[in-house]
Order: sequence, then structure tokens, then C-alpha cells
Amino acid sequence: MGIEIITLLIVVALLALMAVGVPLGITTLTVSLATAIMYFGPRAGYFIVSANVSEVMHKYELIAVPFFVFMANVLERSGIAKSLFDSMAIMGGRFRGSVGVQTCIVAVVLAAMSGIMGGEIVMLGLIALPQMLRLGYDKKLSIGIICAAGALATLIPPSVVLIIYGLAAQVSITKLFAASAVPGLMLALMYVTYILVRVRLNPALAPIYDIPETGLPFFQRLKYLKGVILPGILIGTVLGVIYSGVATVTEAAAIGAVGALVVAGLRKELNWVMARDAMRQTVLTVGSIIWLVLGAISLIGIYNRIGGGEFLRGVLTGLDVAPIMVIVVMMLIIMVLGTFLEWIAIIFITVPIFAPVVSDLGFDPVWFGVLFAMNIQIYYLSPPFGPACFFLKSVAPDGIELQDIFVAVLPFIALQAVGLFIVLFFPDVALWLPSMLE
Amino acid sequence: ETLNIQTSFNAGDFSTQYLTENWLPKISDMTEGRVEIVLTPNGSVVPAKDTPEAVAAGALDGDFTSVNYFAGQEPAYAIMGDLISGYDTPEQMLGFCKDDRGEEMMQKAADSITGGEVHVVACGPYSRESLPARTPIRTFEDLAGKKIRSPEGLAAAVFQAAGASPVSIPFSEVFGALEKGIVDAADASAYVNNDATGLNDVGPFPLYPGIHSMPSLQFTINSEIWEGLSEEDQTALRTWWYDAMFGMAAEAAKLDAELAARDAAGDKVEVIDWPQESRDKLREVARGQWEEYAKKSDLAQEALDAHIAYMTKIGLF
Amino acid sequence: MKNLLSRYADTTDRISVFIGQGCSVLFFACIIASAAEVVMRYGFDHPTAWSTEVSMTLCATAWVMSVGYVTQRNRHISITMLELVVGPHVWRVFRLIQMLIAFGAVFVLTLALWKPAMKVLARTEYSGTAFNSVQPTIFKVLIVIGCILYLAQLVANVIRWAQRTEGDLSGGH
Ligand code: NA
Ligand code: NA
Repeated sequence: MGIEIITLLIVVALLALMAVGVPLGITTLTVSLATAIMYFGPRAGYFIVSANVSEVMHKYELIAVPFFVFMANVLERSGIAKSLFDSMAIMGGRFRGSVGVQTCIVAVVLAAMSGIMGGEIVMLGLIALPQMLRLGYDKKLSIGIICAAGALATLIPPSVVLIIYGLAAQVSITKLFAASAVPGLMLALMYVTYILVRVRLNPALAPIYDIPETGLPFFQRLKYLKGVILPGILIGTVLGVIYSGVATVTEAAAIGAVGALVVAGLRKELNWVMARDAMRQTVLTVGSIIWLVLGAISLIGIYNRIGGGEFLRGVLTGLDVAPIMVIVVMMLIIMVLGTFLEWIAIIFITVPIFAPVVSDLGFDPVWFGVLFAMNIQIYYLSPPFGPACFFLKSVAPDGIELQDIFVAVLPFIALQAVGLFIVLFFPDVALWLPSMLE
Repeated sequence: ETLNIQTSFNAGDFSTQYLTENWLPKISDMTEGRVEIVLTPNGSVVPAKDTPEAVAAGALDGDFTSVNYFAGQEPAYAIMGDLISGYDTPEQMLGFCKDDRGEEMMQKAADSITGGEVHVVACGPYSRESLPARTPIRTFEDLAGKKIRSPEGLAAAVFQAAGASPVSIPFSEVFGALEKGIVDAADASAYVNNDATGLNDVGPFPLYPGIHSMPSLQFTINSEIWEGLSEEDQTALRTWWYDAMFGMAAEAAKLDAELAARDAAGDKVEVIDWPQESRDKLREVARGQWEEYAKKSDLAQEALDAHIAYMTKIGLF
Repeated sequence: MKNLLSRYADTTDRISVFIGQGCSVLFFACIIASAAEVVMRYGFDHPTAWSTEVSMTLCATAWVMSVGYVTQRNRHISITMLELVVGPHVWRVFRLIQMLIAFGAVFVLTLALWKPAMKVLARTEYSGTAFNSVQPTIFKVLIVIGCILYLAQLVANVIRWAQRTEGDLSGGH
């Protein structure tokens, strides 16, 4: 059987299992086990799967996820987050869509603290979503804002995606970080513009935040800043810990979690029941993630071994088109893979194939890394495997289904695609900052 | 026959490109088309530390892997994989494998962690790693108190014995850790690779030629497949591998030297070349740690004895 | 028989919840271990060799061992779009299929992981790092235990499905 047929069968099997509602981790695990055993027999097949599955537990980067989730749970349960958003809403005043815009700004600040998507979506889902729904914001608009803005965590540095890309493609990580900052802010700006345009066209989407305080003159509203001070110190601490060099991103996440407990203590909101519930919620929220990663990594080991990587490289080099179109095709392939694979798996499949081709065609691998990270933004949102949507689903109030979330993120996927093509055709958007720093 | 061999090189590495472009085509010439090799990058089928068992199980036809990855399974692999601050050049250690007891020791180690289904064809290193540092470490004495990222057991022990503090952080965090000063120096890779990943930018005082690490690789093939090859093809595979490694060692040394010369001429990076006296002091400290480490298993002790006998023979002791 | 099965389901649920909630404390210990490393390194200029491996071991233990709890609460991530299309009766059949596929996959995975686990139990594997812990041995054994907990809870979920005593079903198995 040719690799084309096998590739097709794998994709069909994945889609069929997902459609029946089999958990996604089990879906990839089932397909990888079946492929391994049919192709190699039980001994070698079992070995490939077990080796890859055991390796998942050695992934140090993963442990920042429960840390950030725990931090978010403490912030949410202690009421810190609510008073942060209340203060910001009063500070922001009465313009239409103000809370949506503030959510984007908070997301950018959080993105500068966090290198992974997930914790951030959960935090915004726990803090901002109930607020927006309470204020009467349109459900879909609110969900879309949180998923899209929350996903910026891995485009705005620091970013684990860029670190892993840099390691896989042998590209300078400093340059990748510098190059991704402007495109990250550009996307945030596009989201803000989109929100303002939508609510202007249809005011029903975002009622004006109508509590008396928002009508006060700006200087009198300043006193409501006090709700921002403690969270601000916490964010400053985590940012400071990362950028001053005191700790790695994972350790900074731990400091953030401990810091959140300290802040809750200072507000006299810390008690055993709250801490215990925050821990239990963390277990339930992150518990299924390891099975997702495990299934995806196992599948990728098998697919590579049966020549999938070779096959895809052959397809690419066989194309008879302009070099920039090859890059476009690569981006489309990543987008398609992003609908059903996990990001680490996408890096492992595509970077070994694409990176040499990118250099051969005369393009800058740093620029390609930024495109890659922007494409990962799309992957986070795009159904059926849209991790940002799953993260939000795990904390969303009852009555918000996964399909609602998938519909809600569609306009933001379009914005992400526009952003991607801007950087694709105007590489300087990404490359001017690193070249300034040279 | 097409052999699927997993390497511990990453897809973008100099070594992968060099082997793919220059050496993979030669194997089919040397065997008149009877044997072809497909190299798959690090971790593409199984994690690097699992390749011996993958070869034994037939999940891979062979591996081309840095044997330090197996040190947790059999301590002899640490002694065989990277005798910290031992040999001066990769060629010396290649000689130990090719002309002395290296292959024999590597085969014994393979047999100890598998059921004898793995045939060791050849072994040896091709490059000496440089050590990017963010503060100048000019002599042996300067090592005192420096925080050095070094994940391997033996390297950590040697640095500790030399007065430094080894820090164990994952490779994916090396760049950030060096940039932010979490560590003063970081065990990473050869000069050419550190240049490509920008480690010399965040650690602008690289120690080159390196003082510590010279990772050794092995080339193995599943025993059943190996026995199915003609004697002529077996010889061709072994010859091919050593030719490729000597070629790669020369090429890597040339590239490293060119880049180091370029950086030494500029003002951003200061390349530090340790005086022989410091190197000798470190080797003396290191030998104590080798001997300490070799106590972990009989095979490790046997491997170290073989090393020291060879090093004495070629005049290093 | 019916009574016996529902007692099995109740007991398994209780064990899963107990272990899962116990795991939450391990996550907390993991946070403390990581934060402690920063304090040791910068407060006392004394980096530890153990922090990374201890954090990872605690975290992975919590992650793997909580699988029963996650399965009991139906918190595995899955796509439920077809539920609206096929209606509740067909979806009930789909839910059984989901559990049976999950059981089959995890069972075969357990078979695959069994031999490596037995191997490291017979001959301990070390991490080979400065701390040189038995982490790889722990992980290889741990994941087998995790799989068994997953299987046990899936059986309990199937019993609840058959007896129509399931709780919240918003997620997957
Ligand atoms: Na970030
Ligand atoms: Na997606």
C-alpha cells in the first residue's frame, strides 16, 4: 500500500473517530496503535508507541500549564480578577465596546508574562467571560475575543512555540522573539479595530457599561485604580522575574502561582477551602491535556517511520510554482494539519521538511518562524481540533457548547489569516525590529 | 536493501546536511546499489534514548546516535559516550573505536541493555563542543563558583570537582537561561551550531577549542539484517561510516575554526582558548571523576580501563 | 449481579475521586518545588540539582494518576457536534461506542507499556543527569498504573451507562 493511500486512510480514520465523539487523545492513540500494529506487527509497533508515550512525561515545558491554570483559579476564586476588571471597566469609561477592548489589552499584558496558550485562555475565560455576559455582551463576540486574544500568548514573546521552533529549525531564538513582537501587537490591534467596528454597526452586541461611576470625570475615576494595584504588582513580578533573568518561564509560572496566593492572603481572601478547590479545579482542567499530547506524539512517530515525512517533502519539491507560492502552500498545509493535530506534532512533522526548503528558496528562516507562530494562532482556534476552544470550553459557564465556540471564533480566524498574509507578503513587518536591534 | 536509520542529529544541523549531501549517495556506490540508507532526524520515530531497543525490536533498522543518551540504562555508556576532558581530538577517540577496543566495549554495552539483537558496526565522535559563556572564564581557576548548565552525570561531576556549580536545566531553556544570566555558561554544541542558534550572542565569551565534551556516536544495525548482508557489504558499511566520520571531523573543525577566527576578529565575541596548563589541570581533576563514575558498573570500569590503556598507548597519559 | 456491578461503579468512582483530589496536592507541591528553586538560586546563590526532576516527577504523577477522576467527571476533550444531528437515542449508542473504543485503545496501550515497565522494574533506569534520579523508572511504571485506573473507571462508566445512572455528560470519556 502506498503512502498516499495510508495518509488518506489515517486522515479518514481520525475524522471518523472524532465525529463519533471519541475523545481526541483516544482518537490519535487508536489510529497510531492500529497503524503501528498493522505496519510492524505487535513487537515493533508496541515499542514505538510505548517509547513515544513515556517520553511525553519528560516534557518540561508542559508543567507550566498547571501552574498558570492554578494561578488563574486562585485569582478567580479570590475575587482579585473581578475587581481588576471592574476597575478597568470604570477606568475605561462609557464608550461602546470598552470591556471587549480592555479584555484585549489585558490579554496582551498576560501574553507578555506567559509563554504558553492555555493558562491565559482559562484565566480570561474565568475572569472576563462572565463579566461580558453579565454586562449583556453578545455571547459569540465575547467568546471570539477571549479565544483569539488569549492565543496571543505564543506569538507575543516569551513563547514556547518559538523556542521549540528555534530548536527544531536551528534559528536564533532572540531574533525569533524580536521578530514576533510587532506581528503580535498588529493582531491585537486588528482585534480591537474589529470589535469597535462591529459594535458601532450593531450596538446591541455591546451595551454601554452603565454604572454611575463610569460617568464621572476622568480624575475622579482614578481612585478606582486601587483594584488594579495588587494584580498589577503580581503581573509586574512575573514579568520582572522573566525579563530580569531570575527564572525560566516555567519557574516564573510557579512564582506567579505562589504570588497569587500571597495577593489573595493580603486581601484576606485566602482560606483552605478556596486553595483546595482551586487545586481540584486545576486537576480537572489540565487532566485531559496529557492524553492529547501523548496520542499526537505517538501518531507522529509512526507516520514518520512509514515514510510520511519523505512523502510530504516530495510533494513540496515537486511543485512547479514561484518560490513565494511554495511558502503559501506550506502555510496552507500547516493550516490543514492544524485542524486535527497538536502543535508539537505539527512542528515535528513540518519543520524538518520545510526548514531546508525555506532556506534553499532564499527566504529568511526567522521570518518563516514568525509565519509559523502566526499559523499556530490559527491552529489554536480552528475546528475540530482547536485547543483554545477546548480550554475555553473547560471553564465556560453551562450552556456554552463547543460548537458555539467554534462558530464564534470564525471571524477571528479570518483576521488571523489576514495578519498572516500581511507578514507573508510584507516580511519587514516581522524583520524590521530584529534588524534594528542588530 | 533500504535501511531506516534514526540519528540523534536534528534536521537543520550541519551534520545532517553534510551527511545527506556528501555521504549518503556514496553508500549505494560502494555496495553497487545493494544497500541504501535513509537517515531520519532525532526523535522522529522514537526518543533518542530508546533507539537500541527500537533496533532490537525491528522498529528501526539501525541507529546513528550519541550514546550518552543511554547512560541512564548502563553507566558504561557515559564512559564510552563522552569521557569529559579526556581526548584532545575526535580523531584520537575514533582511533580507539576503529583500531582498539572501542567497538568491542560498545557491543558489550548494547548486549547488556538488549537481547543481543543489535550489532554495533562502528563508533566515535566527530566534534568537540565549545562552551558559550556570558562572563570570561580564562583559566581553570576561573571555573570556581560559575554556574554551568550541564545535564550529563559525568560532566556535572567534573564541573563540580573543578569548583563550578552545575545547573540541570532542559536544553529548550538553555538559550533563555544564558541570556538572562540564570547560568554563566552552558554546555550546548559545537561552535558552528552555537553560532547558528545565537548562543554565542548571549554567551559572548565562548571557550574554544572546548574544554569538556566530545560526544561519541554509535552506528548499529539490527543483527538479523546485519547477518543477511554479504561480508563485502558489511565491510563497505563499516568503511563508509569511518570515512564519513573522519571527513565530518575535518569539515567541522574547519567550519568551527573559520567562525571562531571571524568572531575573534570582531568586537562582539571574545573567543577564549585555554592555556595547556589549565587543560592539564582539568584533565587531572576529570580523571578522578571518571574513576569515581566507573564504580557504577563492572562494564563501566572495563570501558574506562580500555580507554586509559589506549590513552597511555598514544601518549595522553 | 446488578447490585454487585453498581457497587463496583460506586467504589471505583470513590477511588478515582480520592486519588484525583490527592493529586491536586501534588501539583501544589510541584509549584512549591519550582518556586523554591528560584529562591535557592537567587536568595541563597545555591541552585539545586533536584528541583527540575522533582517538579517534573510530581507533576507527571499528578497528571497521570488523575485520569480516573477526569474520566469519572467526563472531562476528556471530545467533539460532540453530531449529538445535535443524530438525536439523543443514537447519541446514547455513540456514547457506548466512545467508551468501548477508549477501553480498547487504552487496553492495547497497556499491553504496549507493560514490557518496558517490567523491564525497568527488573533493572532500574536512571535519568543520567546531575541528580541522576530513578525518574525514567518511575514514569514507565506510573503510566501503566494510570492506564489501569483509566480502564477501571471506563468499566464503571459503562456500568453507569447500562444502568442509566450517569451524572454530567457534557464531556468525553
Ligand atoms: Na507570550
Ligand atoms: Na485547530
